[in-house]
Amino acid sequence: MNLLYEKYAAEIKHILAKYPADQKRSAVMPLLYLAQQEQGYIQKQDLQMIAEILDISATDVGSIVGFYTLYHDHPGGKHRLQVCNDLPCALRGADEFLEKLCENLGVQVGETTPDGLVTIEAVMCLAGCDRAPLFQVQDAEGIRYYENQTVETALQLVEHWRSDGATPAPSPLGLRAGQEKSSTPLPDETVTGLSAEVRDETASDTAATETQETD
Amino acid sequence: MAQLISLMIDDKPVKVPEGTLIVNAAKKVGIDIPVFCYHPKMEPVGMCRMCLVEIGRPQIDRETRKPVLDEQGNPVIQFGPKLETACTTPVSEGMVVMGMSDKVKKGRQDILEFLLTSHPLDCPICDKGGECPLQNLTMEHGPGVSRFLYDEKMHLAKHYPLGDLILLDRERCIQCGRCVRFQDEIVGEPVIGFEQRGRSLQIETFSDPGFDSYYSGNTTDICPVGALTTTDFRFGARPWELKPVASVCSQCPVGCNITYNIRREARAGGRYVIKRVLPRQHEEVNEIWICDKARFAGYQYAESPERLTRPMLRRNGELVESSWDEALQVVAERFKAATGGLVTYAGGRLSNEDLFNLKQLTEGLKGQAILKSSIGGGVLVAQMGVAKGTDLGKLGAGDAILVIASDLQEEAPIWWLRVKQAADRGATLIVVNPRQTRLDRFATHTLRYDYGSETATVLAMINALESKKTRLPDWLAKYRPNRFQTAAAKAFAGAKNGIILFGQEGMDLPRSQELALACANLLFLTDHLGSPNNGLIGVWESANTQGAWDMGFRPSTELKEMFSSARAVYVVAADPAGDDPSLADALEQSEFVVVQELFLTSTARLADVVLPVTAQPEREGTYTTGERRVQRFFPAIPAPGGVIPDYEIAARIGERSGLKMENRAASLVFAQLAARVSDYEGLSYRSLAETHEQWPIIGRDDLYYGGTAYENTQGLGVQLMPSSQKRKIFQVNWQEPPVRVSGKGLLGVPITRLYDRGATVTPSRSLASRVPGPFILVNETTAQKLDMHNDAPVQLMLAGSAYSAMLRVDTAVPESVVLVPRSLGIPLSELQPVDIRVAETTPA
Repeated sequence: MNLLYEKYAAEIKHILAKYPADQKRSAVMPLLYLAQQEQGYIQKQDLQMIAEILDISATDVGSIVGFYTLYHDHPGGKHRLQVCNDLPCALRGADEFLEKLCENLGVQVGETTPDGLVTIEAVMCLAGCDRAPLFQVQDAEGIRYYENQTVETALQLVEHWRSDGATPAPSPLGLRAGQEKSSTPLPDETVTGLSAEVRDETASDTAATETQETD
Repeated sequence: MAQLISLMIDDKPVKVPEGTLIVNAAKKVGIDIPVFCYHPKMEPVGMCRMCLVEIGRPQIDRETRKPVLDEQGNPVIQFGPKLETACTTPVSEGMVVMGMSDKVKKGRQDILEFLLTSHPLDCPICDKGGECPLQNLTMEHGPGVSRFLYDEKMHLAKHYPLGDLILLDRERCIQCGRCVRFQDEIVGEPVIGFEQRGRSLQIETFSDPGFDSYYSGNTTDICPVGALTTTDFRFGARPWELKPVASVCSQCPVGCNITYNIRREARAGGRYVIKRVLPRQHEEVNEIWICDKARFAGYQYAESPERLTRPMLRRNGELVESSWDEALQVVAERFKAATGGLVTYAGGRLSNEDLFNLKQLTEGLKGQAILKSSIGGGVLVAQMGVAKGTDLGKLGAGDAILVIASDLQEEAPIWWLRVKQAADRGATLIVVNPRQTRLDRFATHTLRYDYGSETATVLAMINALESKKTRLPDWLAKYRPNRFQTAAAKAFAGAKNGIILFGQEGMDLPRSQELALACANLLFLTDHLGSPNNGLIGVWESANTQGAWDMGFRPSTELKEMFSSARAVYVVAADPAGDDPSLADALEQSEFVVVQELFLTSTARLADVVLPVTAQPEREGTYTTGERRVQRFFPAIPAPGGVIPDYEIAARIGERSGLKMENRAASLVFAQLAARVSDYEGLSYRSLAETHEQWPIIGRDDLYYGGTAYENTQGLGVQLMPSSQKRKIFQVNWQEPPVRVSGKGLLGVPITRLYDRGATVTPSRSLASRVPGPFILVNETTAQKLDMHNDAPVQLMLAGSAYSAMLRVDTAVPESVVLVPRSLGIPLSELQPVDIRVAETTPA
């Protein structure tokens, strides 16, 4: 009985088709992402079900969840605001940014605001060291990057969510970036590396889902 | 032979084969390069950085491609700007390695300082303290003080259960990954892994059940800190209080070399007790690994309070204690009076010395020596077994291994491991079973057959062979090979070396004899006999079943008739009444029953005389493995007062019956045995105790390198020559298997599970939670037909009797087949029709 497979048979087949049959374990990341969309985090039974689909051990699946900040193993708020505080970011004030942001929201790192709106997390490298402080937001709309942020802009974003869009949203490229790099505001630049790939994939997966549904 | 490379390590010249890693080249000349993550049995990963050394290479002139020479004519050596890892760098010609320079010393200090930033200083209560690589290497290479803040140490779980047998201390773990790599690379069961990353990295399992592997205990041997501990030894003793005693595992025919660690204990009245079992290196048998049954069940039975310690005689229907003199006198008189009517029924857990004396006694009294075994073919293995010099660890690309009728991981876990690793090295692995087993994943060819047609499958493979050395009998033609059988047969025939292991799956005596013969013929026709790494291996049910065959014991299909008509039955290390109630009835009918045992078994309860014996860790002797290697074990702990070794009891009965027999020492019995049993000619306890240096070098002061497995200083044993090796010409016999008609309905099939209710397993405290109650296995379709679900309590109807069991659903079981594990309470010994009923919920 594989509930995940039963529920998302078409999506899973679509994902598996992208990888050679003898290397289907490579599909573990998109499958985890798929499973995560159910509850906003990955549950223990999801590991077992993905392991079954890919013919690998549940432990192999589980180690990936912990490694990537993309995945969550416990429930969080509606929006996850993930701040990188690795060394280069810390040199550009990420630690201070994170501390002040938490102070303003009245939570500790890793905690969710009492209204369940935002979870603040410290994460490993987001591949934007020169644009720190930066964070990524994960929510129902996907993953977005916010670079060159200040505590004020971050709070503005939270306020934007809290007011359900009534207050203006801050620029994802931040104030300084807008001034310094206005000539090259390439949208592609805002997403890099792995997250970009996964985002692209999930975007196309969503597209596939939609087509399936219209069928 | 790979090309030899010359290099200098710490001013010592070294010559090693191409591809050798620097750390191993150094070890070969006695130079220690400390490591944590590197292990000689696994691929290097270079994670811990402890092995950093300075490496210089000769400067090469780009034009002439020759080394640049200095004024003195010596090659100019160019050192890299950074330290390099000795565990991942292979040697190269003219290399100069500096492992003692100031730069290297500083590097080691820094790495240790890092490793210790959050390591707890709980060495005084840590099980590893005293044999801990981290502790030892810190003493030798550490900085002495740390610049890190003590207050910022991480505090993590101290007793995290990864499984029923293994606990993890997360503070002590240094993330070397040896345990994770062992399970992944060596065992192929990645049930533990790394979770999180950076400073949060830790060992975790997400599998269900958790760290549930038959090899899990080995991770505690190779763990370089006290992070992984067994529930068995945890807080049990300090390593420096323990004395090592060499032994051989008594649980299966692999014959893993082990070491008992013993110490005196107040709670045992000041006597020596066994505190733990560790592997003892034997690269041709078990390398440095043992299974969890060896580690956790191998000795605890000896300490059981249920042990028999006094002889007992039946008086007025009751078993009452008696003196040895009286008991032996009664037995000797009755045996003598039985003239020709004596049946000696012995189990394969006895040593060669016991079996030899029992055979002498039985022969002297013109009785029959019967072996407790449900599989046959031991004589064939003596003739066509693997040749002297065989080492499963040497098989690889170009060789082939055929495993038939065996769930090998359940029957002989270390053979499973060695066969799996041979397949990893490129050997062709042919797995022939009626259902999927854990070995299938590593197989080149997987063949299926219906239960009962294992011999037909081998005969079909023989038919598929092209070159035929001998005229095949006409009846063979009807066994037509399918294309899978043909492909497998050709692969086996084309291999340089070929070994066949035949096992216990669905086997009874006649079937396995037919199968062994067919396998022997396949080996003969494919020229896989008489030379090392070729031949037949019987996956027997006991440690010394092969020895029993060699000593002249033979199994019988006529047990019931034999017992009921015997004038005296002498049951040694076996429990026929417990195995099969109909044998209990037969024993009741016999005139006189003597049981020689450790425990008051079902058979002992109905005996006229019960004789208590010493347990294997309390005495010395030899076992012959399935690969026919004769190995010694030594006394580790004192026997309880009043018990005597089996060989001595047999000899004393013999003397009282007027036979001349040796009772003084096992070594003297072995000397007689070597003089009388031709295959054992020339062997002595001294020759069995010979050793030679093995690679990797482990078990010395450098515990960081190989782990806590012991070096083998007490003997590697001697592998016997099968007759096919002594004289190359061999006569092949053919026997047409009889046609058996299978009935309709459900077919009951006996299978083997590693953790069963054997006499020496049940008393194990550590394994108590792992040994299941009676259960049976069916597939989903069969369960649906029966209208039953997983974990339902059922009654198995077998030959008119009902047995309670749990029904488990397993997709690998063929349809309409009911798998019944042996030694778990249901006496199924052959393929037999069975029926399943709903268990009555409310007992009357």
